[in-house]
Amino acid sequence: MAAQLTQEQIALFNDPETHKVLATLDESGAPHVVFKQSLYVSEEGNIHYLELLESSRSNHNLVRAIWFDRKVSIVVKGGDRQSFQVKGQPVEVHISGTLFQKHYVEIQERLGDVDLAGVWVIEPQEVINENFWIRKADEEAKHPLFRHLDRIAKTEKHQ
Amino acid sequence: MSVAVKRTFEQELSLNDVAAKYPDVPRLVIIKTDVQRRGIHYTESALSIVDPTVHQMRSPYLFGSRDGEIKDLPESLLLRDGTTILVDPTPLELNPYLVDLVDGKLALVDNDEVVEFVKLWPKPQYYDIKTSSGIPMSHIASARPQRLNIFQSSYCHFWAEHKECRFCDIVNHTKQQKNELGVPVRLKPYDVSETIREALKEKGRFTSICLTAGSVLKGAELFDNEVDFYIETLQAIGENFTTKKFPSELISSAFNEKQLARLYEQTGITSYTSDLEVLGEEKFNWICPGKAESVGYKEWKQRLVRAVDIFGRGNVGTGLVGGVELAKPYGFESEDDALRSTLDEAESLAEKGVTTFFIVWVPRPGSDFRDQQNPSLDYFIRLSTGLHQLRVKYGLSIDYNDYRRCGNHPDTDLSRLL
Repeated sequence: MAAQLTQEQIALFNDPETHKVLATLDESGAPHVVFKQSLYVSEEGNIHYLELLESSRSNHNLVRAIWFDRKVSIVVKGGDRQSFQVKGQPVEVHISGTLFQKHYVEIQERLGDVDLAGVWVIEPQEVINENFWIRKADEEAKHPLFRHLDRIAKTEKHQ
Repeated sequence: MSVAVKRTFEQELSLNDVAAKYPDVPRLVIIKTDVQRRGIHYTESALSIVDPTVHQMRSPYLFGSRDGEIKDLPESLLLRDGTTILVDPTPLELNPYLVDLVDGKLALVDNDEVVEFVKLWPKPQYYDIKTSSGIPMSHIASARPQRLNIFQSSYCHFWAEHKECRFCDIVNHTKQQKNELGVPVRLKPYDVSETIREALKEKGRFTSICLTAGSVLKGAELFDNEVDFYIETLQAIGENFTTKKFPSELISSAFNEKQLARLYEQTGITSYTSDLEVLGEEKFNWICPGKAESVGYKEWKQRLVRAVDIFGRGNVGTGLVGGVELAKPYGFESEDDALRSTLDEAESLAEKGVTTFFIVWVPRPGSDFRDQQNPSLDYFIRLSTGLHQLRVKYGLSIDYNDYRRCGNHPDTDLSRLL
């Protein structure tokens, strides 16, 4: 089931200053985690990932994901402690056609003599806010017992 | 008068059965294989969204299609993993997959069920242009999603002696294309060079060039004239590159060392394929009588092995028409026997650095094997995994003939992760 990113999340995702990390699984199930700035949200709400290297581990793992229905994760972190994670499913890779060629030209304008292996389309399936203070409030609401007693013990200032 | 009976495939494992039996084989590759095996038929509603200004329509090709006709239909299909399906329009009585319009998108449909959504190949920009000699450039170079095919000459001299390969329809199809479309039988190097130059203007469109033709037996030594034609054309293509070598594949007759050295040294070619078509001397002699008589099975294999010294490991291969080893009446009677024999022979080549790949055999009306049936999907999947595993075992790369630079081999699709 596809999940939708909010306009605020999309803006953060597409901000070139934002740090983005892509996590995929290799053949043995081990995570492969790398910074990838060539990730962005497309107009239709899917995540597009520009893979520049055909033989990269990420690309191989994405092929495995589309072949064997594996998920990937993307973590996005901007300023002001904003951070969220998207779990998604690779659903298509463009290796030719209008979208591919548009990105091929753009990436060369940006980086010079580089190639483009594919434009991966990742359908978001779950969006998790990773801002610590929001996650903390959420846990305290759902799991009020998950805390050390000293945090609620009376101290001198309560005497 | 013969009556066509709809092929039902009831005695064979279905697509879903095969996918369940081989969970380590991607379902998309299994779908591709079965679509190639059974062919396709476009419904009227599917054709209603085809736009010839955007989609690549069928262009001249070396071989004919399963319906034996030249129609203005889409060239072929792409799957969502980037896999190309090269597949023929096929008469409905042969029970092909339908390409239908479902929820506004094209889908492969079988027994009223959507099997997978597909896309059409994008049309390259040079298809709208003619050479300065007035030939449509689509008649000079036919495109795949990421590859350019140059069919330098579509006449094969084995046909002149009635010793053509029994699955092949090259000359019958050539005559049909010449008569119906005016496609030149032999290309001029300057037309090829001009077409390549135009094609390269489209950024991001092509990653490799494949050159092939029918066998030419003439020359001081067997095939010398064929080698000369290729050198001339490859040098013309090379005029368009800044580097001497460019990603490319030559699919040709089995040349001797002297001929191969000339090709490698005098042109930009980077990889060499010479198709044995079927493995095993007995089957080769029956199915490929011209090749058997002119070079012979053992010598053909030796020439492939010697090519590795020139082109390097991973850059030399041989293609099979997968399934003809089971053709009647002299083919294997059991798929198990056919598979064992084929993989044993392929291993004897892999040990020496030659990789083997296959295309799915499609019995074409212009060939001697026109009335036969190709093997089961199960067989083709076992052949795919077997050939892929040989590449894994012997560390053989297939970069030059993979899903992107070719797209016509289910087994090299599997090798995408090597």
